[in-house]
Amino acid sequence: MFLALKEMRRAKVRFGLLISAIGLLVLLILAQQAIQTGLITSFIGAIEKQSAPVLVYSVDGQRTLQGSIITPPLEQKILSTEGIAGSGRIGQGTFTVNVNGEGEDSDAAIIGYTDPQLGAPDQLSAGRAAQGPGEAVGSSAGFELGDTVRVLGPGGQSADPETITVVGLADNAQLQVTPTLFTGWSDYVASVRSANPDAAGVLPSAIAAAPVEGLEPAALADRINDVSDEADALPKQSAADETPGVAEVRQSFQVIFLLFGLVVPLVTGLFFLIITLQKSASLTLLRAVGAQSGLLVRSLMFQVVLVIGGGLLVGIALYTPLSQAQLGDIQLSFDVSAVLIWSALLLGLGLLSAIVSARRVLKIDPIEATTGEGSR
Amino acid sequence: MSLALKELRRQPSRFGVATVILTLIAILLMFLGGLLDGLTAGNTGAIRAQQADLIVFSSTSQDSLVRSRIEPDQEKQVAAVEGVAGIGELGSAQLGGRIEGKGPRDLVPLVLFGYEAASKGLPEPPTRPGEAWADDTLEAEGVERGDVIKVGPARSPVKVIGFVNDTRYSGQSTLWASLDTWRKVQSENRPDARVGPGVSQALIIQASGPDSSGLAQRIDEATGGLTSSLTEDETIQALPGVAAQESVFNQIIALTVLIAIIVVALFFALITVERIGLYGVLKALGAGSGRLFAGVLLQAVIVTLIACAIGAVAALALDAAIPAGSIPFTATGARLLGSTIFLLFAALIGCAFSLRRVLKVDPAQAIGG
Repeated sequence: MFLALKEMRRAKVRFGLLISAIGLLVLLILAQQAIQTGLITSFIGAIEKQSAPVLVYSVDGQRTLQGSIITPPLEQKILSTEGIAGSGRIGQGTFTVNVNGEGEDSDAAIIGYTDPQLGAPDQLSAGRAAQGPGEAVGSSAGFELGDTVRVLGPGGQSADPETITVVGLADNAQLQVTPTLFTGWSDYVASVRSANPDAAGVLPSAIAAAPVEGLEPAALADRINDVSDEADALPKQSAADETPGVAEVRQSFQVIFLLFGLVVPLVTGLFFLIITLQKSASLTLLRAVGAQSGLLVRSLMFQVVLVIGGGLLVGIALYTPLSQAQLGDIQLSFDVSAVLIWSALLLGLGLLSAIVSARRVLKIDPIEATTGEGSR
Repeated sequence: MSLALKELRRQPSRFGVATVILTLIAILLMFLGGLLDGLTAGNTGAIRAQQADLIVFSSTSQDSLVRSRIEPDQEKQVAAVEGVAGIGELGSAQLGGRIEGKGPRDLVPLVLFGYEAASKGLPEPPTRPGEAWADDTLEAEGVERGDVIKVGPARSPVKVIGFVNDTRYSGQSTLWASLDTWRKVQSENRPDARVGPGVSQALIIQASGPDSSGLAQRIDEATGGLTSSLTEDETIQALPGVAAQESVFNQIIALTVLIAIIVVALFFALITVERIGLYGVLKALGAGSGRLFAGVLLQAVIVTLIACAIGAVAALALDAAIPAGSIPFTATGARLLGSTIFLLFAALIGCAFSLRRVLKVDPAQAIGG
């Protein structure tokens, strides 16, 4: 170990470069992990944070609130399912709004519910729940307490513009990477009519349902799906995970992670292989004067651990401030489990990559010190 | 130069690991770029197919097609603006499509467009109600000419009369019908999004001359600020997620190039360290630093070109192997060439770190001075 540390102290630039390279790779991996998590949360957070245990879309909706529409006959069929303890309508639309009558117009997703127990956010980070018409809970990314939100009609003119006041905030409660408001059903209907005066009727986007005691949400979803081919019922978490685009985002990032996971051990392995080749004469000499192969291999592995450990520290140190940032409407966060998993994985892969170098060390024949072959 | 090439030929294994790493980086770059191009193409095909000089939305729609509403009066005002040679209405409805022979829950997400103006990317709109051109990605779903797709919860029948290419929108397949068909389908399936007679979501504008500067402003002034006129590129950038997607991917690509610089720098720095003695002898024999460094550069360029060639072949093979409508991946010549240029740039920058070492080599040391 003494030898390993001494070598690293004497070749600071060489080892520093490698530690920096690994640190940047670690930063890149963790930053992408944070972007992936933030992107998915901004995409489906509202579904995860709303309170209904089961969401029933129409099959036509392709598991999106904005695409789904529940016709009256379908609603009746859904409500006739055995095992429903409570149900309510949920409507969703994306609207152009103006906040506090100032600045530029912006987008807002509005989710309306008939029963606050089945549709409103189940946890608030500030303020209180909406208690009447004209009140809403907003996603904390995009709204502040007391904001007054005016839903704009075509051309910015509306005979009776819908105005909503934000009385509460919920974290990680965005939909489609858009600031989101949770309001009562009447405010949602008024918003639709404000935005489209030609609207013939406002139907729910989904039905929220709660199972009777003793019945699991998944079992209730199965029962509802058995009742109608046009109903697509899902437990809350499945509704979030199976939103179109979520799986594709995860898959794309996984491929990128896989490639980066390969680059790190290759860089480390290459570095230590060249180092081993460069100092093969010295290693042969050390073997000739009695140093055991095991000692030399342990020194090598110790260096690998120090280099990757140093790289991890550099990467995590750079990632920490980055993880507090907000990219557009995407809020990043420090993901402890991602840090731990990637640290263990990269350390393991780094050690594996050093096996080639270790084998070279083990193959050194001390007799070569007397023939000069060790210096080749 | 010949020395550098000879070394590459005689000791290819020395450069093998660097080539493997750079190949992985090249594949990563080209995969990322191809994914970005595929995603962008799948999101924007319908807009690009318009080949419009301008696209006009209502001013409070945030340039979103589904939220925009253009009243007939506004259309007349736009048509009267000087410089407007052609005008066509456009409307869209995002719905599920039921294809014959598939299960009751097996729907295809699609966007039904109603349009008025033909372009290079789109034929004349169907004349009969209930008929539509289909994007050719629907062929991969088993749709054939003459098939009837039942659209939306109301099962509105739409007959496919032929196929068009590269017209996807929001990552979904598209159907292209007349405006009347669109209004009927929209009204039957989305009563909340129903539009009145003559109302559309956007106007496709063809300018009278090649210079359409100022036309957008004139149109928006003519409607009293109730419209927002954008070029095709601006419309694409305004599509939900497109700009954010490009920004995230470009950041990752830039970081990957940075990694390539580090890898090349590291590798050639070590190679140079290994060859310090040799360089000393060569300098003692009269070789200049410039010549020696040019050799290092040449080796880096060759290794990078080999890596890029393998990466490009892998990207093209992936593009050919992926079934239509699955992973949104497109390997274009421009992207592959761009990635190669990026990596060559990274190789040159990476090599530059070795320059100092080459310059510092003292020939006197080589001859025992």
